[in-house]
Amino acid sequence: MSTSAPSAPDLRAEMRKGAESLATAAPPSQERGITSDLSVDEALLLHAGGWEPLDLVCGVAVVSVPVGVWNWGRGAISLASDAHNAAVDQAATALRAECGKVHGHGVVGVRVDVEVRTHHIEVALVGTAVRPAHGNDPRGRDAAEAMPFVSDLSARDFTLLLRAGWMPVGLAFGACFVYAPRRTAGTAMRQSTQNVELTNYTEAMYSARESAMERMQTSALEAGGEGVVEVKVTEGPMSFARHAVGFAAWGTAVRLVADEHQFVEPELVLPLDDAVVAFEAQSLRGAGGKR
Amino acid sequence: MTGLSDSGNPVAPPDIPAGDLPEAAVRRLQSGAYSSGLSVPDFAACLELGLEPVALVQGFCVMQWAWYGSGSGYMRGMSPYTFGSGGGGYSETYRCPHGFVSAEHRTWGQNLEQPWVEEAWARGYGTAYTRMIEEATAQGAHGVIGVVDRIGTVADTGTTEFHFLGTAVTVDGGRPPAGGVPWSTYLAGQRLTKSIEAGFMPVAVVASLASVRVWAFCVTEYLMEGQVGMGWGYTGGGPQLVEQVSKAHMAARQLARKHVRRQLVGDELHGATIDVATRELAQGDEVIDCTLRGNRVRRFKDFDPIAPPRPTVRLG
Repeated sequence: MSTSAPSAPDLRAEMRKGAESLATAAPPSQERGITSDLSVDEALLLHAGGWEPLDLVCGVAVVSVPVGVWNWGRGAISLASDAHNAAVDQAATALRAECGKVHGHGVVGVRVDVEVRTHHIEVALVGTAVRPAHGNDPRGRDAAEAMPFVSDLSARDFTLLLRAGWMPVGLAFGACFVYAPRRTAGTAMRQSTQNVELTNYTEAMYSARESAMERMQTSALEAGGEGVVEVKVTEGPMSFARHAVGFAAWGTAVRLVADEHQFVEPELVLPLDDAVVAFEAQSLRGAGGKR
Repeated sequence: MTGLSDSGNPVAPPDIPAGDLPEAAVRRLQSGAYSSGLSVPDFAACLELGLEPVALVQGFCVMQWAWYGSGSGYMRGMSPYTFGSGGGGYSETYRCPHGFVSAEHRTWGQNLEQPWVEEAWARGYGTAYTRMIEEATAQGAHGVIGVVDRIGTVADTGTTEFHFLGTAVTVDGGRPPAGGVPWSTYLAGQRLTKSIEAGFMPVAVVASLASVRVWAFCVTEYLMEGQVGMGWGYTGGGPQLVEQVSKAHMAARQLARKHVRRQLVGDELHGATIDVATRELAQGDEVIDCTLRGNRVRRFKDFDPIAPPRPTVRLG
């Protein structure tokens, strides 16, 4: 590989050129400007990968949770779990619709905000719609515009994923709420003076975890994915119903679009900006030198 | 919208006289020494670009909000039975499917854009911004970099303070902007350098607030209280989409983008941030405020994509 570095641009000349562009009033324009929430780095990387941002898009859904579902019971709280999963599905549908309006092929950097309240669950998704700059989407333009992908990967991770021969296909999501079984009065009294595991909560957590992860993986498969990357999880008892534990897992479903995985083969870099700036003379004495 | 010029830049309202810098500020700015809010790395990057710091410039404006007071004509939206369908902006009316139930039954509901809130916010934001730019103009600056805007409440007074802060700079050997009004950007340091290198010149920081009031009708009220299957067309015992509130949330975000797009005038918006705050004023009466801000930039040369990056693993 060639090690010759590209010549550095004359930044001062570029700055003067930029200032020159504002020295005369711009003619009125009806052009629809691009909007994006990408950082400068992300935008540049996206362009380097042959993609371009189009528009800031969002999808929001508020789904009701029927009254009484949080009352103490047994097993999964299926109505609340259904409400959570429905809210994510509806929000993703709204997000894809906005992406489709600007002819985007997908949405990257999606921020997932979820608020679980007693009687409703609110899900808000915000990201930047993108498309290939030269139209070379491996899925084909029509297919891509008909079903844009939704991905919570940053533009940086998206670019790296593409380079490795993979594509995001959608946001995989699964949530489940489970009642923590009641302990009997005798068990509670016996355990009150013990340092002991509360197996009812542990088991409820495992149960919620299993259902949520299964739902997430099912949604990934339904979207045509082979796996899910960057999985995030949230778990714990509900603030308004401590006897109910919730578990949510989400990530980006991906599939291989190249013939085979492209190994990225990163270079090793030894940075010189070492955090240790002070030379410790005592370290020369070795372990036996300590007094 | 109040506070925007034809070119989309925020300007002071007509009752804010130009050149009204406090005397002490004029004295300080003329002292000869410059000040800057840049960190040392940002300062170094700024000099590398040929930008010379002139002064740390600021603008303030404190606004009082008066629209939620009791007796306000806008407290409960615009009744579709007496006023029509809204006050000029976005509005959507929902009508009860049940027929007469009781006098307390919510026979209609509405999602209503609150332009008077948005205009007041834009006035506060635009005035503080213009005051900062005025200080920069007085110094002969070409631009303001590293802009920070803080919007917060003034303790328990029901008022909002808008505060802008940035470092005014001149471009070494560069021409001043058209009309002498300095450009501005939230960026500084290496991020500004990369933006310039990529061919995007900052024009102005832009922001907007969209405010949507949700006045729930009976079905929304039932659903938000978990009482499902309470109406014709809304049957079923399971979870249901709360259409009115979902649409209000979408509308708030879409309106914020529409307002910002109006300020872009064909330019691009980079590094946008979107923040949403909801307030429940009473049962079934909610306000959704969406703030969108970012850097308006103009392409000054053909895009020159960077070389495909080399993946690295950092040792140490």
